[in-house]
Amino acid sequence: MELLKYRINTFFQYKDLMIELVKRDLKLKYRRSFLGYAWSILQPLLLMIVLTVVFSNILGKEIENYPVYLLSGRLMYDFLKTSTTHAMKSVTKNSALLQKVYVPKYIFTVAGITGCMIEMVFSFGALFLVMLFTGARFYLTLLLTPLVVIQIYLFCCGLGLFLAQFNVFFRDVEHIYGAVMTAWLYLTPILYDISRLPDTLAFLIKAFNPLYYYVAQFRDLVYYGNIPGPRVFWGGWIMAILMLIFGTWTFQRSKDRFVLYI
Amino acid sequence: MSTPIIEVNDLTVQFNMASEKVNDLKEYAIKLVKHELMFQEFLPLQNISFQVQPGEAWGLVGVNGAGKSTLLKTVSGILKPYKGSVVVRGTTAPLIELGAGFDPDLTARENIYLNGMVLGHSRAFMEEHFDEIVAFADMNQFLDSPLKNFSSGMKARLGFAVATVVNPDILIVDEVLEVGDMRFRRKCNERMQQMLSTGTTLLYVSHNIESVKTLCDKAIWLDKGHMRMTGDAREVCDAYKEEQTRMIHQRREERRKKMKEEGKKYDYLIVGAGLFGAVFANEMTKSGKRCLVIDKRSHVGGNIYTEDVDGIQVHRYGAHIFHTSDEVIWKYVTDLVDFNHYINSPVAIYKDEIYNLPFNMNTFSRLWNLKKPQEVKDKIAKQVAELHITEPKNLEEQALSLVGRDVYEKLVKGYTEKQWGRDCKDLPAFIIRRLPLRFTYDNNYFNDRYQGIPIGGYTNLVEILLDDVDVMTDTDFFEYRKSHADSYDRVVYTGMIDEYFDFCYGHLEYRSVRFETERVEESNYQGNAVVNYTDREVPYTRVIEHKHFEPEAEQEHPKDFSIISREYSTEWHPGMEPYYPVNDEKNNALYEKYRELAEKEKNVIFGGRLGSYRYYDMDKVIAAALQAAEAERMPWLNNGGEKE
Repeated sequence: MELLKYRINTFFQYKDLMIELVKRDLKLKYRRSFLGYAWSILQPLLLMIVLTVVFSNILGKEIENYPVYLLSGRLMYDFLKTSTTHAMKSVTKNSALLQKVYVPKYIFTVAGITGCMIEMVFSFGALFLVMLFTGARFYLTLLLTPLVVIQIYLFCCGLGLFLAQFNVFFRDVEHIYGAVMTAWLYLTPILYDISRLPDTLAFLIKAFNPLYYYVAQFRDLVYYGNIPGPRVFWGGWIMAILMLIFGTWTFQRSKDRFVLYI
Repeated sequence: MSTPIIEVNDLTVQFNMASEKVNDLKEYAIKLVKHELMFQEFLPLQNISFQVQPGEAWGLVGVNGAGKSTLLKTVSGILKPYKGSVVVRGTTAPLIELGAGFDPDLTARENIYLNGMVLGHSRAFMEEHFDEIVAFADMNQFLDSPLKNFSSGMKARLGFAVATVVNPDILIVDEVLEVGDMRFRRKCNERMQQMLSTGTTLLYVSHNIESVKTLCDKAIWLDKGHMRMTGDAREVCDAYKEEQTRMIHQRREERRKKMKEEGKKYDYLIVGAGLFGAVFANEMTKSGKRCLVIDKRSHVGGNIYTEDVDGIQVHRYGAHIFHTSDEVIWKYVTDLVDFNHYINSPVAIYKDEIYNLPFNMNTFSRLWNLKKPQEVKDKIAKQVAELHITEPKNLEEQALSLVGRDVYEKLVKGYTEKQWGRDCKDLPAFIIRRLPLRFTYDNNYFNDRYQGIPIGGYTNLVEILLDDVDVMTDTDFFEYRKSHADSYDRVVYTGMIDEYFDFCYGHLEYRSVRFETERVEESNYQGNAVVNYTDREVPYTRVIEHKHFEPEAEQEHPKDFSIISREYSTEWHPGMEPYYPVNDEKNNALYEKYRELAEKEKNVIFGGRLGSYRYYDMDKVIAAALQAAEAERMPWLNNGGEKE
């Protein structure tokens, strides 16, 4: 209990640092680019246009308003990908600092993920524009999207912490992870509709792919205008919390040895 | 006794230094299968225990790799103990690397905030202290340009300013202050002193033993991860230094033995371990030559030798104050050791009157109670005019025509007569070409840009120069030469040039000085390092009070005694210690003859004050030695100057 209190205290002591790190990431990302923050909307928009042009006739024939369908899934995936990739390198990249000052090490990981989350929220603007442009309906369920954002955020924190510590000991992770992310993209119904998959594969994805839970929930709220079913809703929470516990546990376990390996 | 602020109990730190670095999974798997995954267990610290009371300053000494930095990192929480415990009761400000965590792409302003927060401050706190940081770092101009455009010195300044904005309970310093320019270093030191005086606890690592001695009360000597000694900083430092010296001697001995066994020759035999010889030996050793330095005295350093007498550096062969305007030379010496900022401002005593030197407005206002420079100029001009000297026939007339009667009689006459051992009327006029008069209230004796005295004495400086050089003291060249003529290739001779040639044209003349050094049981004998006695009745010319050359050491460790040296200028006779060459016509002509002989002497370089029969300031000696070394390295560059 004492320890927990101590941990929470340190977290509060360093919360300003976290905020500052998030700000730094956002600031530096678009510094000196002409359009600046507008890129966080433009970039997914451009990607969506390309993907729509390529895939709408192959995969999206039966899907009504394919651009919105695609983008709503894609935003979730992009967040997962950028945030965890960022998190994975967070400890190694800050090695110089960690060897010289005492700072809670998870700060860098969590700050990276938080920055990406804020960017994701910006890129909801792109979704909004596409919905407006394609004449999609705006459902009241849109207001519930923060619940999904929180879930996937916690999930990514867990995964990010795990990857960050793993990458300290085995730098190969960085290289493998790119391939893993591509596989993950195709194993999630983002570009296609899950009903087109064979039943066993669809079942497996529904059961074991955490990203499916978040994509499904998000689409329910944005695209279909439904309240997500209890299976995906609670499943999403459980996945998120389990991952967070796992990530934190692995991170805590090895953090004292980081300094010797970076 | 109060609760210790830092408590280290039986601390052991372990590094898993993989015998080879395993960086990827494939290698890991292979090694795991082959059972080759051997971790060399490396213990950078073993069984360390100590307790620091609030407000104490502790220094850590030891050679590279002894575990000093590891200990600091463990105390600041970066490393975790493997066994034992570290308890820290208070906030720490680690100055382990200044500006760790600066992001080169962010502006200075943004970095100040970021860095502050890395150190655990809140945003509100940083906002409140922002101006203070900027002011300390002297950085009003470039706040909004990216840090990558900044020089390393500027970054260090910023880093220090951020790190010390708060008075922490514990300040942890790891050799960071060895960067940046002098001014910045001084500023940092002042800040640290001020923190210490307000009760901050200090943990300090430096290679510079002297700064540990001055800053710290207690010290720990780490040796290969063990505590070798702990206790009073002075005692620990002295013991450590002694050990270091012993190690150097041992290394030298081994080297010498090895060379003997292998039948190798020295490239240079350097006669005289003074400044010239030491600088030259250091330079040539750096370029891979083997040098042996011999000296007939029992110590190195030549005339700049300083001896530690109960914590006071005594200038055994007369006061030496380093001053130069040559930036290169200043950098050369300050890279070797730290210098204090001693400024030479001697005082003259004439009967019961006391005057500032050099002759400046403070002197004149005392003499004549005049305040304005113009009045003084008029006064001197008037005194000079009254004498009607057109062509000075001797030193007295020369001096009179330069400064007028009052200054001459009170401040020049007696002193010069004592110095030369005869009447001013009997001295040639050329000895004094000019007597600088200063019409400002400035007591700084030298006009040079840089001035100071090496902290810890000159011997330390020479020893650093000779660290990797073989040295034999108590060795006379002419004796050594008889038995070891084939053990060296070339000779660098810094002794008396006439002695080298067996005085074949007769003796060159010198003036000598006799020192009467005495310990006095009062903490401050005369209030100044140098006091000249300018009336002829007092037999000595000057009294040196050595502790005033190092005011910082006295401040840190006040002593209730003092050491003074009375200087008596004496006639020189063959066999006595030569000090000042008498560069009159006769002697210069004699020297010229010896120089011609020297030029014919292949494989011998003559240098230094006695080797070139010249009065040399220390900076000039260093410059000459560097030049000689350069000429040795690249003889083709040097057709006009030296030999060959």
